[in-house]
Amino acid sequence: MKRLLPFIIILVVLGVALSSAWYLTRSIPAAQNPPGNQPPASPGSQPSPAQSQQPALTGVPGAEPAHTAGPATAPVKLEEFGDFECPPCGMFHPILKQMQEEFGDKLQVTFREFPLVPTHQHALAAASAAEAAGLQGKFWEMHHMIYDHQKDWAKEFDVRPIFEGYAKQLEVDVERYKRDVDSDAVARRIMQDGNRGHSLGVKGTPTVFLNGREVPFEDLPAEKLRVVIQNELRTAGK
Amino acid sequence: MKKFYIGAALLSLLGLADALYLTIEHVTGQTVRCTILSGCSEVLSSQYAVVAGIPLAAVGAAAYFTVFSLAILALFGYRFAGKILTPLVVAMFFVSVWLFYLQAFVIRQFCQYCLISAAITTCLLSLVIIRRFL
Repeated sequence: MKRLLPFIIILVVLGVALSSAWYLTRSIPAAQNPPGNQPPASPGSQPSPAQSQQPALTGVPGAEPAHTAGPATAPVKLEEFGDFECPPCGMFHPILKQMQEEFGDKLQVTFREFPLVPTHQHALAAASAAEAAGLQGKFWEMHHMIYDHQKDWAKEFDVRPIFEGYAKQLEVDVERYKRDVDSDAVARRIMQDGNRGHSLGVKGTPTVFLNGREVPFEDLPAEKLRVVIQNELRTAGK
Repeated sequence: MKKFYIGAALLSLLGLADALYLTIEHVTGQTVRCTILSGCSEVLSSQYAVVAGIPLAAVGAAAYFTVFSLAILALFGYRFAGKILTPLVVAMFFVSVWLFYLQAFVIRQFCQYCLISAAITTCLLSLVIIRRFL
């Protein structure tokens, strides 16, 4: 028996390691599940109950008018504080688009600038680019463009020409865009969104609020966020 | 000598847990939130996090599991295991130094769990050195 004991210990540790890896991999769902093709909710995929029990926060107002997508009458209002250079924000971007497609008019999305300076050297430039395009009514187009190409520009030394190229592609008036990028109006909007984030206790990105209550970070994968939104819709009686 | 192998086994278990966590983060694409102070997932999403299609963290988990197995075998009197343990730990230490260099000077971002792994490997090397002089 004593000769077998070390092998038993090794096998037990191997078994525990493999089974915990298997369990954790299953309980953290892949970021992008095609709609209508989700596995049935397992106990591990249930969102944490804390979200619906929190009181709704109001905080100080952010930049006005806010960048919103979806009707103001939507029963579920999602507010994201994001940084264009943050990789998890880049990964959350397609999830949010998927939620917008799935929930349609029942979901209104607001994006708030929260560039993490100085952690991300280009985050402020990216936020300014999106806001400058926003002054010409192309905020969401620029927002999608910057997130979709995050890996292309994040490691570049000078990102301004890249963002100008995106502005050109989006048929933004580039001369005006170049003036607006450095304008007080753009800087003020970013500052106001940042102030709102700080007043709500935002410490990192992406931070998401649903009807004023923060969604825990672990509930941001598509499968969990979908359940959180469904719960919110149920609460609203829609 | 027994204390040495028990210490090595416990350290390698910690390393295994750390490397498994990193592997799961890598495989599921789930990354930790960025904050003002941390460098979030730049390290895990860098080109250096994968070797020949295999996440480096998974290679690390396999290495820690091997160290654990060898330490347990050596504890129960299998002398060959003790002899393999030393060069393996030395090799792991050099890999950790290389990865630390990549984080500090190439990616210029640190990954907390990668640093924990480097610390564990350094402790393992210290144990190996202490054993040589005892």
